[in-house]
Amino acid sequence: MNFWYSFLAIVVLVMLLLPTAAMLVWVERRLLGFWQERLGPNRVGPYGILQSLADLIKILFKHDWIPPFADAKVFVAAPLMGALAVMMSYAVVPMAPGWVISDSHIGLLFFLAMTSLAVYSVLLAGWSSNNKYALIGAMRAAAQTISYEVFMGLSLLGVVMLAGSFRLSDIVLAQQEGWFILPQCLGFVLFLIAGIAESHRLPFDLPEAETELTAGFHTEYSGIKFALFFLGEYLGVMLISMMITVLFLGGWLAPFGLEGFIPPIIWFVLKTFVLISFFILLRAALPRPRFDQLLAFGWLWMLPLSLINLLVTAALILGGQ
Amino acid sequence: MADTPLPLLPQVQVLSKDFAPELESSKDGVETWWITKEELLPLCSVLKNKLPQPFDFLYDLTAIDETRRKNGAPQRQDLTLVYLLRSYARNQDLRLKIALRADLKDAPSLCSVWPCANWYEREVWDLFGIRFDGHPCLRRIMMPSSWQGHPLLKTHPARATEMGPFSLPDEVRDFEQESLRFDPKAWGLKPTGLEDEFMWLNLGPNHPSVHGVFRIMLQLDGEAIRNAIPDIGYHHRGAEKMAERQSWHSYIPYTDRIDYLGGVMNNLPYVMALERLGGIEVPERAKVIRVMMAEIFRILSHLLFYGTFAQDVGALSPIFYMFVDREKLFGIVEAITGARMHPSWFRIGGVANDLPNGWDKMILTWLDEMPKRLRDYDKMVLANRILRKRTVGVGAYDSATAIEWGVTGPGLRATGFDWDLRKARPYSGYEQFEFDVPLAQNGDCYDRCLVRVEEIRQSMRIIRQCVENMPGGPYKADHVLTTPPPKDRTMEDIDTLIPHFLGVSWGPVIPAGEVHSEVEATKGSNAYYVISDGGNMSYRTHIRTPSFPHLQMIPVLAKGQMVADLIATIGSIDFVMADVDR
Amino acid sequence: MTMQWLFYIAGAVALFASLRAVCHRHAVHALLYLVVSLLALAMCFYLLGAPFAAALQIIVYAGAIMVLFVFAVMLFNITDKDIERERQWIRWQVWVGPTLLVLLLLAEVVMLIQLQPAGAQQEVQLIEAKTVGGLLFGPYLLAVEIASFLLLAALVGGYHLAKALGRPHDGAP
Repeated sequence: MNFWYSFLAIVVLVMLLLPTAAMLVWVERRLLGFWQERLGPNRVGPYGILQSLADLIKILFKHDWIPPFADAKVFVAAPLMGALAVMMSYAVVPMAPGWVISDSHIGLLFFLAMTSLAVYSVLLAGWSSNNKYALIGAMRAAAQTISYEVFMGLSLLGVVMLAGSFRLSDIVLAQQEGWFILPQCLGFVLFLIAGIAESHRLPFDLPEAETELTAGFHTEYSGIKFALFFLGEYLGVMLISMMITVLFLGGWLAPFGLEGFIPPIIWFVLKTFVLISFFILLRAALPRPRFDQLLAFGWLWMLPLSLINLLVTAALILGGQ
Repeated sequence: MADTPLPLLPQVQVLSKDFAPELESSKDGVETWWITKEELLPLCSVLKNKLPQPFDFLYDLTAIDETRRKNGAPQRQDLTLVYLLRSYARNQDLRLKIALRADLKDAPSLCSVWPCANWYEREVWDLFGIRFDGHPCLRRIMMPSSWQGHPLLKTHPARATEMGPFSLPDEVRDFEQESLRFDPKAWGLKPTGLEDEFMWLNLGPNHPSVHGVFRIMLQLDGEAIRNAIPDIGYHHRGAEKMAERQSWHSYIPYTDRIDYLGGVMNNLPYVMALERLGGIEVPERAKVIRVMMAEIFRILSHLLFYGTFAQDVGALSPIFYMFVDREKLFGIVEAITGARMHPSWFRIGGVANDLPNGWDKMILTWLDEMPKRLRDYDKMVLANRILRKRTVGVGAYDSATAIEWGVTGPGLRATGFDWDLRKARPYSGYEQFEFDVPLAQNGDCYDRCLVRVEEIRQSMRIIRQCVENMPGGPYKADHVLTTPPPKDRTMEDIDTLIPHFLGVSWGPVIPAGEVHSEVEATKGSNAYYVISDGGNMSYRTHIRTPSFPHLQMIPVLAKGQMVADLIATIGSIDFVMADVDR
Repeated sequence: MTMQWLFYIAGAVALFASLRAVCHRHAVHALLYLVVSLLALAMCFYLLGAPFAAALQIIVYAGAIMVLFVFAVMLFNITDKDIERERQWIRWQVWVGPTLLVLLLLAEVVMLIQLQPAGAQQEVQLIEAKTVGGLLFGPYLLAVEIASFLLLAALVGGYHLAKALGRPHDGAP
């Protein structure tokens, strides 16, 4: 059974993820519009809901252009790598009991591994474009991603210790007594910040900071290759939101003993959506720190705090045994 | 300009003996000395360094092609160099003129005395072909390096029809493109042997953060800036040359487009100059309307600055809120003038129309709802910790540096230097209004923003006073040169019919003379130096804009900054390229 | 059986990618092959029952250290001229010696495998993170501590070197 079942699950997941990411673009633009005293896209379809579709059609019909000065092979491969690495991570995310493609016993590590590979996409895009702005963007991306990966990993270790497993469904089930956001509130905040930094969203969008680097690493990209970056970014936001839900907000578990009449997947989607909206709100609300400030913040605050979080959690667990 | 002109010449003669300039009395009352080019450097160093209460500010530097002028000072020859110096301590201006012969077009460079002379001299070289000896890098600034001739000479064609049809063959295009390639040597940079260590980055001419077509060549060490070379001229439209081809009246719309965010604020110095030349007394109502409209445009410009500044630092939302405010305000401008960004609404001798019914209610409503929104912006932008980290202490300069480089307006007041033309030399009735001049202390990006935000509040105070105390009476002067002339009595007697006919068909004939007229514009000090030769067109119009010297200062600020700091600094300067290139 | 095939495929990928990494003239492309080779190795680890080591292989080697390599090489501004120069440097006389030596080693390895008892194929044992941790802080404690000394020294040295350059702003920490 297994092979075909998994294959079907993968197909279904991808078919669900891509339109959801496209819808997310519309949701973000509408929400931003709402928060910024304007309308946002409201012309294509009811409430502009088909805007993403229209954009997709436009982008598909654009000239698939590779700059003559670019390293063509790497230039094409880079956006693919980014989108693939993010999509791979979804394989281990349990959305409801049994609703997961691979409930791997190293699920969390797999997620971290895929996140760490995603940086190649940005790095190589910046380099292969053979454009100075893109190169600076790639430099920023490399330094930022590698730094914040460290804190991301460290901030999760508390959760792993509490749950005693890297398996994501185990982590969810370990939260039946109470969500990890309470004992791991510090870890939650750290992971949230690292997650935004990893997905290059404002206020951490320095690799593409358009007021400084025009568009940073994807300056030379257009058409479908640009769309892949775009897709990767939104899939990344969704992934980080799902991971926070799984790791800190009890995944599909219902809050306050409300289980029964609402299916677990709804809870999961709801929690994820709230987090996504929070990411969008952050984007509307905050300016961008400078590059060295961002790194200094990471190494001076995030690193010590995540280490303290790790030590205190370990000490408490050992003391409790 | 000062109330009691100090006897300046004897003071100078104490310091440099045998100095005896020829004097010219100017219509604007600015003390004017004709000197020789040999006297220039010693005199300027005396004026700037030795004189008590020195002339510390090179306000303007330009030239006049005198070859076709009929009415002018007898000292004039083929070309005249004009320097306008200002002493803040004396609140006094001094104009120096040097007569040059066409076959000896050179003068000593003032760069060693005032660093800000650099670009002004390049502009004069570019547009008039006057060489400046000792200039560090005398190359074209407004025109492309491949340009033939010097456009502001009277011999240079002023209309497209005089030049033959335009064409751009491929090889010429390629040549022009290639000539834009940056060559450090051509910009006067000496090789240091470390060239391979650093990267040259072209910021602009098309870049989201340079607010127009502005190019800065950055020498980067990683992301740290070692050298910055600004390059302007991409937005040059020859506004000064066009002034010599438009009637006095029909040039007003061109002024709107100098600082295109300043709207009617640009009309003000121009029409004031003409009114001074023509001896027109503007009625009180027109003056107050002008102040009100100018202050509305100051708010419009500052709001845009506020939003784009936040956006340059990465905050997405403020600009949208401020555009909502601007939109409402543009609604008011439209109701009053009929246009939005460029109303060209001031006229020689007054304004175009009287205020419409209900104008006061619209403005009061806006004034009432605005303070709360401004407080929100304070919380969102000025109090934001990330923004403060990005801007406090970044791009800072002190008052002395600012004056040295010709900085005026909010950029000067952010250093704590208390100078606002509206207070120091009130014009158009500003002396009748109560308002404060906002100051800050550190002269960094944050303070420049702070000063402008406070200026929005002060402008709102002024506008409220305008609304509450709007005088009655005519909205344009009852004068023969008022354009368009009052029509009431035109059909009554021949003495008004003929001037009306001439004024409308030819345009008014402004009496000969020279006038320098200045306002505290949105971005700093904006002045028109208008020369009439007694015709229906200007003989020479020079526009001194604030943004021009502000951009020249960027290399001083940029050295050692990171790219992101430079973006914040550029944003905090608040310039528009049309104001720089004209 | 499937597992075995997967293993051999991963191994072949690792071999081929490593070969390309050595032979490729373009430094960045060569590095990319190296990354692929590391990923293939991680796959091998996983199939051999060491998922924790596999994950670390990706996170640490492919995801962090190699990124820094790529990052550094990217900034060298290697042009076609450099590639051509390198091509001239590395003639067959240069690489024939090392190749012969490596072939000797390969032959030895093949012989070793041949000498192994036939029934050596064992059941794959899963090594979990806990086991790794226990080993690191148990029998191999001394090695871990020595390694950490070394790393600390390297860290201090790196800091010192970066500081000595005296740059006003430094990019990567």
